[in-house]
This record gives sequence, structure tokens and C-alpha cells, in this order.
Amino acid sequence: MKRRGFLVGAAALTVLSGVGPAEAQYTPSRPIDLVVHSGPGAGPDAFGRALIAAIEAEKISPVRIQINHKIGGGGATAASYIIEKKGDTNTIGLFTSAWIANPLVQADMKATVKEMTPVVRLVIEPAVFAVRADSPYKSMQEIVDAAKKDPTKIKQSGGSPLARDAIVRHVLMSNTGARWAFVSFPTGSERIAALLGGHVDMMIIEPSEAGELIRGGQMRALAQVSDKRLSTFPNTPTLREAGFNVPNVPQARGFVAPPDTPREVIAFYEQLFEKLVKSPTWQKYLTDNQFEDAFLKSEETGKFFDQYSDLMRGILTGAGIRVVR
Amino acid sequence: MEVLAGLAYGFGIALQPMNLLWCLLGCVLGTLVGIMPGLGPAAAIAMLMPISFNMDPTGGIIMLAGIYYGAKYGGSTTSILLNIPGEASSVASCIDGYQMAKRGRAGAALGIAAIASFVAGTFGVVLLTLVAPPIARFALSFSSPEYFALLSLGLALVVLFAGESPIKAALAMLLGLWFTSIGIDLFSAQARFTFGQTALLNGIDFMIVAIGVFAVAEVLGSVQARTDAQLPSVPRGIRNLLPNWEELKACRFALVNGSITGFLVGVLPGAGSSISSFIAYAFEKLFSKHPERFGQGAPEGLAAPEAANNADTSGALVPMLTLGLPGGGTTAILLSALVLWGLKPGPMLMQDSPNVFWGLVASMYIGNLMLLLLNLPLVPLFAQALRIPAYVLFPMILGISVVGVFGVAQSIFHVGLLAGFGLLGYAMARLGFPGAPLILGFVLGDGMERALRQSLQMSGGDLGILVSRPIAAGLLVAAVLVLIMPLVGRFNRWRLRGIAENG
Repeated sequence: MKRRGFLVGAAALTVLSGVGPAEAQYTPSRPIDLVVHSGPGAGPDAFGRALIAAIEAEKISPVRIQINHKIGGGGATAASYIIEKKGDTNTIGLFTSAWIANPLVQADMKATVKEMTPVVRLVIEPAVFAVRADSPYKSMQEIVDAAKKDPTKIKQSGGSPLARDAIVRHVLMSNTGARWAFVSFPTGSERIAALLGGHVDMMIIEPSEAGELIRGGQMRALAQVSDKRLSTFPNTPTLREAGFNVPNVPQARGFVAPPDTPREVIAFYEQLFEKLVKSPTWQKYLTDNQFEDAFLKSEETGKFFDQYSDLMRGILTGAGIRVVR
Repeated sequence: MEVLAGLAYGFGIALQPMNLLWCLLGCVLGTLVGIMPGLGPAAAIAMLMPISFNMDPTGGIIMLAGIYYGAKYGGSTTSILLNIPGEASSVASCIDGYQMAKRGRAGAALGIAAIASFVAGTFGVVLLTLVAPPIARFALSFSSPEYFALLSLGLALVVLFAGESPIKAALAMLLGLWFTSIGIDLFSAQARFTFGQTALLNGIDFMIVAIGVFAVAEVLGSVQARTDAQLPSVPRGIRNLLPNWEELKACRFALVNGSITGFLVGVLPGAGSSISSFIAYAFEKLFSKHPERFGQGAPEGLAAPEAANNADTSGALVPMLTLGLPGGGTTAILLSALVLWGLKPGPMLMQDSPNVFWGLVASMYIGNLMLLLLNLPLVPLFAQALRIPAYVLFPMILGISVVGVFGVAQSIFHVGLLAGFGLLGYAMARLGFPGAPLILGFVLGDGMERALRQSLQMSGGDLGILVSRPIAAGLLVAAVLVLIMPLVGRFNRWRLRGIAENG
């Protein structure tokens, strides 16, 4: 009796454990192509290279991973390349929020993440609202009040009208009824220079950049654009804590695969990135660069795409920007 | 005194054998990168970053910075010999450099480029050593209205320096302004002039326009003129391969002008390195006693932009090292390398990591000397390239052009664009339109439109912001004067003729 029970248990175990390997059976036989939409050195490329370095340091991939630059079209070239690669199990694309937001506005961008197979979401990039160190405004509320009193008074430097900083401004303006100007600059350093030179009053900035300028006595942080406080800014409230009941606009990065990629292939990539996310090398990279660990598997990443698209569509329509899909 | 102590400390670091080796390696790689069109210093540094990751930060930044300023030395080589600008900052060097080569002074031109690069490179490092913090604060007083005014002055100088017909120059420039507006507009996130082509959403890369209008058009023109028998002759003998005394003397003001202009424009985070060489070239012609020699192979017309694009590198490092603000693509990547090493670029870098700051600055003195010693002996060698017969050289130029463009854009569509710009450049040359204003309009137009619209966003639509700020107003007045000057000259001639006729 006892023995039989053991056998049944063993058989059940074999069956159960058989599920895992069967699903993860796929192993790539040649190097994996990691498609990024920027040129060498720019944000997505640097992120991809750091990721590959961590995977190699931890020895968690059976094959080499190489970067493939598909530059142009604000992500459109890379996205349509991923769509073209249908059936290829060795190609994955590094998506950023721009892959989701830009096609909502650009009719010519026909390749959307909706058609691709979601793989994982890896990180969310937090940000902080900052002012010059000698700015008269001590809190987010003060600056919003000043903007309410005089809509021509406050100026914010930022990027494209689809970028997160512009979106957060719209969310805040419709929440508070205040108005302020938004001055677009293509690069982060021009946005910072405009703030430090006193040509604008505030900006949304990456925490790692802000940290150094704050330590150097050039800048002050007023609020954080994230769900919870960052370890490096323990005394700066999040927008919600500062009294603004607004949805968080996450800036995410992760991976997509070509359309209709089989489940077992996705499972392989999920496991690869899950191992990466748990590794100390990757965790150190996240801390150094102030990224928020936001790992999601394929299914949840797909849901995230839908939620984010809906959020953006609502915000863009509210901001008077024409949404095409 | 503090500066001298810092510099001495820096030399102590930079002169360590390993760091000398990294510096040399960076300079050699930089020269190579500069020579190859399409492979810019930004891409090269990004590719080498994983390797330098295992080095200590000081050695690493010394090497990567060596690539950055070394590329400026190499960039002139193809401009002078083949009329292919290796980098955006060496377009201005094509104008007189290539003409010198055509007149059999290729060796002299390469020599002048190397010497101008050395003088200005060193001058730039001296300024970086002495005045970095105050000049960084000066740079911050520049914002969009000032940049708009500066770029207006730049374009006014274009119309002036383009030579025989200001009308044709202005038309070519307008064409460049149009090309630069292709792609997604930063302010509205809408596509302009892309005609449904996703490949055009990011706009057209500068290299495609420059290589097409200069190199491809030049090959087409030469083939059509059947000049294969009269390729630039290369005189024999080492003496004829180096600049002579007259040529060097003609360049002395160009060196000063280029060094100062290059450094000051380089410091401005929003200006970018292609502008400084153009402005230096225009200044040189503007204040020359023999403006008619420009475009015909004037040595000073080569020395000024070459000096400027080298002084510019030190200038661009000022905001990067003192504030953590990169002025262009390459400095942005250098900055991300510092972050990867765990350093914290920003206002505290000088205090936190003096070994990196002073080690780098000191290594740049050494690097510039290395580059001069490296490049001068190569001059006779490179000058031999022109001995290659036309039936080999022209396909080679086309080959380098296509590979360069494919390297930048990685798409065949852009190679097609290159062919289109080649034909356009050829047609323009046949009709007597200068190519440089088109390139200038293309390079400066983008920033100029942005600066104007940023200014209006700042002022809530009030154009007064452009004249109510003293620096902007001063630069705009200068731009207007530049445009009026030829008219005044013409009026004077007309008046004198009238007096002569009446008298």
C-alpha cells in the first residue's frame, strides 16, 4: 500500500515535472538578434548592451545575443522589422513606451505592438519634477498655484508632445485647472541647460541625472513621477502624496517577439529574462541607473500594452492631439 | 595656482605608461574613424564601450576621448583628397581643401589641416584648463532666442560667403532648409514631407546630403568632363608635399580665429560641432583681404574650419565635465561611458574624481601632440592616393560613399536617396549653384526652426523675446549688417561710378 502510493506519487511527479521541460523545450540554435530602434550609444542601444553584458556575465543564455540596429521613424523601422520577421524565433525587439504611443498619433506607423507577441516587461523608468536650486517654489503645490494665478508665468522644458513629460503636464493641468507653457527640446541636456540658465522654471528629469545636479547644489526636486518613493529620494513626495490625484504615466521597457510566436519559444525567453531579473548583476544595474524593477511575463505584458494604449489615448485626446488608431 | 597643481597631478596620471598607451590607441583609432565616412566617433565609441568597461575609468576615458578628438584630425583627409566629408564638422574643409588638392597642393593641404588641428586642439585644452567653470556659466545664459540669433547670423554669413551670386546661394540654402524639415516635427509630433514613407519619418541624415551633393556630384561632373587625364597631379619630392612658408603665413590669423570661434561655439550645448567650422570659415572670408581666393584653394580657408572643429572638442567638454551636460552626440556617449564606470558626471565630478578630470585634461595635451606626430608622416602617404587612376578612383569614391551611407542608415532606400542627392548636386553644379549653402541650410536650419519655435513657446507667441534679450539682439543686428554689407558695397561702387561720370 505504502509502496504503491509512492509509485503513484512518483508517476504524478514525473508527469508534473514533464510539463515544465515540454514547454521549455525550445532552445535557440543560433545567436539571438536583439532589435533596438536607436543608433549606437543612444538610450535603447545602451540599455540593450548593458542587458547583454549582464546576461553574459551571469552565463544564462545558451547562445550569443547581438544587437541589431533598425534606426528611424521614432521606432517605426524597428517595429515593422519585427512584424516582417514573423516565424523567426531568433529575433526579439526592445520596446519602449514610444512603440505604443507614437502609432496612436502617426497614421504612417502601421506596425503596432498589438500585432506582435509580447515577451516580458522589464523596467519602468521613474522621474522627478525639478526646479533650479534658487527657485522661489518650494513645493509642487506652490508652482501649480503660481501657474493658476498667471498662465504665462510658469514654463516647463521637455521633449516631444508625446513624451512622458508632456503627458504628465497634461494630466496635472486637467486635474488642477492650472496652465503653463511647455518648451520642447530634442535632448535631455538642452532641457537641463534651459532650466539651469533660468530660461524655464521646471522640468521632469531622470533621477540619476537629477541626483548629481542636486548634490552639486544646482537643482531641487519637488515631486516624484512614480508609484512609490525612490530609495535615493526618501524625502521627496510622489505626485499623489503631494496631493495630486492623477494616474501614474509609466515609461516602460521590455521585449516583444514577431507575430504569432509559438508559446514554447516565448516560454524560453520568459525564463531567460526571469533568471536575468533575479541576478545580482542586473539588480546592481537597476540600482545604479535608478530603474524600477517591473518584471511582467508575456500575458501580463500584453495586458499592460492595452492599458497603456487606453491611458495614452485618453490623455492625448484630452490634450487636443489627433489620435488615429 | 590651483589649476597648475591640478594639471601637474593630471600629468602624473596621464604619463603613466598604461595611460600613454590608451591615449595612443585612442588617437590612432580616432584618426581611422575620422578617415572613414559613415563611421563617426559616436558610433565608434559606443562599439568600444564594452571593451573599455573592464579598464579603469581614467584609462578608459583617456582612450575614448582620444577617439573623439582624433576623429577631427582624420576627418579632413577624405574632405581634402576626395571631396567626401568624413564628419559633419569637416564639410567646410571640403570647400578650399579639395580645391588645393586639385591644384597639386594635396600634401600641403593635409599638412595645414594637421597643423591647424594641433594648434587649435592645444589652444582649446588650455582654455578648458583655465576657464572651464566660468565659461560653462556663460554658456547657460544662451537659450533658444540666442541660438536663433546665432544661427541667423550663420545663415546670413552663408549667403555672403557663397561667392559670385548671393541669389543662387540663397536659393540653394532655402532648398537645404526645406530638406531639413522632412520627418516628424518635434513640436507637433506630426510627419512633414514624408509622403507616406516610414523611412523618412526620422528625417534625412546629414551624411547622405553631404556625400551626395559633394562627392557623388563631383564624380559625375568629372566623368562628364572626361577629366580622367587631368586628375590632380601630385608633385614629387617631400618638399612639395608639405605646406610652404607662404601658405603657413597665410594661415596665421585663421588659426587664431578658428581656435577662438571653435571653442566658444563648442561650449554652447545647443550649437553642435558642425556650426563652429562653418562660422570660422565665414569669418575668415569676411575679414580677408582677398575674399576672392576663397573657394579657389585658399590655405586660410582650410585652416580656419580645421582649427575650429578641433578647438570645438575641448569646448564641448566644458559643459560635459563641469555640469554633466553633453553638447552633442559624441559627448553624450562619453557621458554614458562615465556612468557605466560608476562615476557621476555632474557639477561634482571635479571634486569627486579629480584623477579622471585632470588625467583626461592632461592626456589631451599629450594626445594632440601624438596626433600631430602621427598625422604629419602620413601626409605624403595619403597624398599618393591621388596618383590612383580615375577609372579606379571614381568607382572607389562611389563605393566609399555607398558604404558610408549604408553604414549610417542601414537601408537601401537611403542609398537611393544618396543617388538622388548626387544628381541634384550635379545639376546644381552645372547650373552654377554652390553646394555648400544647401548643406549649411540643411545643418543649421533644423536647429534654427527649433530655436525660433522654442522662443515663441517661452514667450507665449510674442516675437519681442528675440530682440528684448541683449545677446540675441546683438547677434541679430550682426546678421542684418552682414546681409546689408554687400548692398552697401554695391551702392558705393554705383555712387563712385556716378561721381566719375559726372565729374
